[in-house]
Amino acid sequence: MEVEVTIVAFQDIFQNEARKKGLYTDEYRQLSAQIILDKQDMTRLGVKDGQRVLVKNEVCGVVVAAKTSDDEPHPGLAFMINSPWSNQLVRDDVCDTSIPGFKKIAARVSPSEENVTQISELLQRMRA
Amino acid sequence: MVVCTGCSLLCEDIELVLKDGSISQAKNLCRKGYAHFQALFTERTRPTIDGKEVSLDQAIGKAAEILKSAERPLLYGWSNSSLEAQAAGIDLARRLGATIDDTSSFCQGILMELVLTGKVPTCTLDDVRNYADTSVFWGADPSNSYPRLLSRFAYYPRGEKRQKSYEEERICIAVDVRKSATARLCSNYYFRVPPGQDAEFIESILAVLDGKIPRFGDKKRMIELGTVLRKTEYGVLFPGFGMVSSLQEKTDLLVRLAAKLNEMSTFKVIPIVGHYNMRGFNQLLLDETGFINRVSFQGGKVIHGPEQSVMAAAKNCDAALVIGADPLSALPFGTARALAKTSLIAIDPRQTLTTNAARVVIPSAMYGLEAGGSSLRLDGAKIEFEAIFKTGNLSDEQILTRIKEAI
Amino acid sequence: MVSAMEIYQLLPKEACKECGYVSCMALAVALLNREKKLEDCPSLQNLKYQDKFKKLKELLAPLEKASETGLIIHPEKCFGCGNCVVACPVNVAAEPTRCAVGLGPQGDKVILTVEDGVVKCMNVKECRRFGPNKVLCNACTVTCPSQAIEFV
Repeated sequence: MEVEVTIVAFQDIFQNEARKKGLYTDEYRQLSAQIILDKQDMTRLGVKDGQRVLVKNEVCGVVVAAKTSDDEPHPGLAFMINSPWSNQLVRDDVCDTSIPGFKKIAARVSPSEENVTQISELLQRMRA
Repeated sequence: MVVCTGCSLLCEDIELVLKDGSISQAKNLCRKGYAHFQALFTERTRPTIDGKEVSLDQAIGKAAEILKSAERPLLYGWSNSSLEAQAAGIDLARRLGATIDDTSSFCQGILMELVLTGKVPTCTLDDVRNYADTSVFWGADPSNSYPRLLSRFAYYPRGEKRQKSYEEERICIAVDVRKSATARLCSNYYFRVPPGQDAEFIESILAVLDGKIPRFGDKKRMIELGTVLRKTEYGVLFPGFGMVSSLQEKTDLLVRLAAKLNEMSTFKVIPIVGHYNMRGFNQLLLDETGFINRVSFQGGKVIHGPEQSVMAAAKNCDAALVIGADPLSALPFGTARALAKTSLIAIDPRQTLTTNAARVVIPSAMYGLEAGGSSLRLDGAKIEFEAIFKTGNLSDEQILTRIKEAI
Repeated sequence: MVSAMEIYQLLPKEACKECGYVSCMALAVALLNREKKLEDCPSLQNLKYQDKFKKLKELLAPLEKASETGLIIHPEKCFGCGNCVVACPVNVAAEPTRCAVGLGPQGDKVILTVEDGVVKCMNVKECRRFGPNKVLCNACTVTCPSQAIEFV
């Protein structure tokens, strides 16, 4: 089961706080490695709140926790807090404005049995 | 006076009680600012070369060596440095014939340029508090990124002409793709716009203001919005990154909107930037070169364009100095990867993905806590800060001076 | 915040009147207003209602932390934004050159202040929701971006 979404990255004060406490902490990972999905999309995927999903596109793939949105319905639209996890999915081809698509990331979401991607792995991928 | 450098509000009413070298009580710091102050004590960097700890002098020496022998060096970051350090950085870039760019390049740069070059009118935050009766947050969620913006200036405080404040004399409007915390505070003045459709939304507002029927959005609500904007005496638009990334090259629409609104009343624009001194860098570079970011001094000339943006330069450079920024966390995968593979020098007070991948790491002081200097607030007001903790860490300015001497 | 109906659903509903109220719904309201405690319901002490007692205890726990005005703060949700500090009419009257204009207080006659990144409440008896001339002031709750402050 796979769902196509457009991801918009946003800022969160608690995740920001966790970042200041420590980049390699469990707290920072838990608050960052999340994707907020519309209730309908969660049902279509067959995942419950907190279950892991693979978020993937032609750039990369990350395993994060799915969270049910408490906003008005927004099927097809997903939200991730701005973090190394969300940025691994952003394309680097830009038009002349050179502003990458942080606020319009196309990706496919599917349930996953793998563990949430660790930040050390995100770093490794960049150094490989 | 203690100043918080956690965001570009640069709050100056912070009170600290210190005990045994740590903070035992802090007053008036928001959650973000408090975390910023406490960050002084965790995950600090040490001077390293290729992962091995060395002396500070050795690290600085190696950095100078790398930069001197590079043919296409990139100097990137800057928005977390003081004005003095930024000036030193621009000077260093000139001497090296390097490309210099800051975090505004892939973020608020376009908006900042409009404001700094006078293409859209702006005002101070004190003007907002004293006169604004309408604050519009567009693609921005200050409750999370600039927590005290609403309580200090934009919505809740009393001002000279707004003694009855939010209860009777001020309204807040939020335009966003999601119902953010700020949008919730704006109650019935929240307008939801799908990603990438802000241009259509602006065109609809322009239509309504011209007495025409809007083609985009709920007609009734758009007309309501038009009425509110028309009745405004002194409006302030706070565009965030959400608006910029949606409009992309269509920023002329924002200029048109500001112009239209100013035909019927007073309407100012204050872009919500990333780090505390992004505006400072943009202003300094503009004064020196005529451009707010993305400048190459190669061959003794001043070249500006998309090729000089960090997005392109990361792939073309043969060495990069990253100062007070973490592009490996913040930039798209491809760009981050290019930087990780180059000869990377990182100047940072704390560990980041960038310092973890860098060849040379130079630990620096946290401004406002361990080092003094000056910076420009969100609205351009110059704010000065002092060191509170004497830790012996060098400031960005001092490090850059030493690098220049070594070159 | 828990509602009277939610409390009522978990009560024994035997209408024994031993608590002094004619209906279990009336007791539910009294529990919410903290005029009565769970221990005041003899029927609820019966072993067969053990689970319901536990659940009720959980639901009513936040009320125990509430001040006399019914103000409850959840510091773990607080952004430290200061909206409540600047909106509170008592704060504004006490600090016309500070809280009224967006700054943190200097004196100690205020009700709300931000300390160590989150809101702290003191002098709660000065709150307008308290006392013989009480009004339904809700300045602090409606200005909070994260529902970190609420009233019972």
